[in-house]
Amino acid sequence: MTEPLLRADKLTKHFVTPRTGQTVRAVNGVSFEMFAGQTVGMVGESGSGKSTVGRMVVRLLKPTQGSVTFRGRDIAPLRDRAVRALRSDLQMVFQDPWSALNPRMRVKRIIQEPLLLHSKLSDSERSDRVEEIARSVRLNTDLLTRFPGELSGGQLQRVCIARAIATSPGLIVLDEPTSSLDLSVRAGILDLLQELREETGAAMLFISHDLGTVRLVSDHILVLYLGHIVESGPMAKVFDEPAHPYTQTLLSAHLPADPRTQLHRHLLEGEIPSPIDMPPGCPFSTRCPLVRDECRTALPPMVDIGDGAQRAACIRIREGSNQVPL
Amino acid sequence: MSLLQVRDLHTHFISRNLDNEIRVAKALNGVSFEVSRGEVLGLVGETGAGKSLTAYSVMDLLKPPAKVVGGTVEFDGRNLRDLEAEDMNKLRGSEIAMVVQNPRSSLDPLTRVGEQLIRVHTAHTDTSESAARARAIEKLGAVGIPAPEQRMRAWPHELSGGMAQRVLIAMALMNEPKLIIADEPTTGLDVTVQAQILDLLRELVVTHNVAAMVITHDLGIVAHYCNRMAVMFAGRIVETGDVETVFDNPSHPYTRTLIASTPERLKEGKQKVLGGGAPPNLYNLPPGCHYVERCRFADESCNKPLSLDQVGDGHFAMCTRLDAVREGWPS
Repeated sequence: MTEPLLRADKLTKHFVTPRTGQTVRAVNGVSFEMFAGQTVGMVGESGSGKSTVGRMVVRLLKPTQGSVTFRGRDIAPLRDRAVRALRSDLQMVFQDPWSALNPRMRVKRIIQEPLLLHSKLSDSERSDRVEEIARSVRLNTDLLTRFPGELSGGQLQRVCIARAIATSPGLIVLDEPTSSLDLSVRAGILDLLQELREETGAAMLFISHDLGTVRLVSDHILVLYLGHIVESGPMAKVFDEPAHPYTQTLLSAHLPADPRTQLHRHLLEGEIPSPIDMPPGCPFSTRCPLVRDECRTALPPMVDIGDGAQRAACIRIREGSNQVPL
Repeated sequence: MSLLQVRDLHTHFISRNLDNEIRVAKALNGVSFEVSRGEVLGLVGETGAGKSLTAYSVMDLLKPPAKVVGGTVEFDGRNLRDLEAEDMNKLRGSEIAMVVQNPRSSLDPLTRVGEQLIRVHTAHTDTSESAARARAIEKLGAVGIPAPEQRMRAWPHELSGGMAQRVLIAMALMNEPKLIIADEPTTGLDVTVQAQILDLLRELVVTHNVAAMVITHDLGIVAHYCNRMAVMFAGRIVETGDVETVFDNPSHPYTRTLIASTPERLKEGKQKVLGGGAPPNLYNLPPGCHYVERCRFADESCNKPLSLDQVGDGHFAMCTRLDAVREGWPS
């Protein structure tokens, strides 16, 4: 078995609210692995801790507890200065390209900045490299002299992706990269990501609440609920045979853009509880249609399903009574 | 007979540039559609296509420099464009209700939820305060808010996004509207909550026999919650028909691109979607089809004035090159 590129072990992030001093338990012991060239899709509702996990993976946030082992080294305890050197290998693309780019920098400057910081290329070499990167994200090189304000949303997101791949990182975290884009533009970006994945071999952590998109791009799926991974597994397994009651109900609420597909739904009542006021036991116990008394007392461990590629945290799995009636 | 009939609606943004010359952005360019009681019409299109502007034009809620410059809006036998401002005010919030995208910003942050619901009712009727209160509690219950009596005293900031959207729907229902216009009612809500809200909306259409118009860019919502759909591009409806008909048999090249861009179709991997491209310049629109610059099938015939032509049973599209598109579209 090859060494994983990245291993997150019991990652935890708690924030303290400034005035009331309450603890927001955003992420609670999340463990997963990513391999070179793999695309991992992370899904969950807002407040499930998706973005916080993504930010800890690239060390924009320092974990409260747990470790992030990247290329064999734990990056969680590193000082900010040491993290900076890692940035060329760990990159991030944000949801809103309008606010992710400096409005007063020309596109060329934006894309070459990581090269200035992380490479020793001469001016002309860097210039060539910027054009090469622009072409690889299918960005017209005429746009390099423009300012972000002159570009459309799809073009801006291509600039963000160009900036992220400029230093040939081993891992890119994409936090809802297509959520703010129109449908036909979104398709173009997804297509680009597929191609870049083959060209660059970078691993991608794709964070999204859009199940259709995640299904399209991911090899492996992580399902988050209230800062816990409740299910993980190969994409086809999780989508076709979801084991955790939350995954089942989440997938059943998805609306495929095809009027001919029959919906088999089990609608959850209520909303995700507040991470300030976590339910004891299973995080999903307050909304689970299959809840039992013991679910409310102890956190269920992850158990293997079949050959162990797919895993889920539900006590009903062992006895096979984990299917929510749809 | 449709409840709402919009015919050839034109809305322009009229302003002056620095040289004091008048500039006109033609945002709506002949929008025509109708909605009947008991049905949900889905209005789809990309950002800037004029979906929300259509709703605001119908409701006469435009602010300068936007102005309706042509067309008719017939609602329940009256042309709304002929109504006095005062009569339009009476209609808004009672016979036509609107549910907007960002529920929290459309509630008054300094007034308790119950008070806001009561106001909507007493503004339009002679009901007593206590009758209005009873009605507000009933409506909060009807939209699935637990413990509605206690929730009457809640402040808007105490509500989650899904709850705030339910309160807005309850508010829309206070005066038993005939038409509900919902502008991106679930954008920003989680899928599980989205399903709850949309189920509620559809149930109201069926049980109260209201007409609904849902503005969205999510084709999943259109596919499962709308009876008919209208696809907008650059201020025009370029295709309209029953949802299943349009999905099975999209005719306009823009509709085809949209449907081919959905994750479900991309997954089938049948074709590469040719990217979006920029929307046309509303200050300087092409004389004929607005999609001409992004269309692979365009020729000289596309520069002539167009009409929404019938292509099937209740199915209309605005394109002169339908045969060429049908033959040339990669399958």
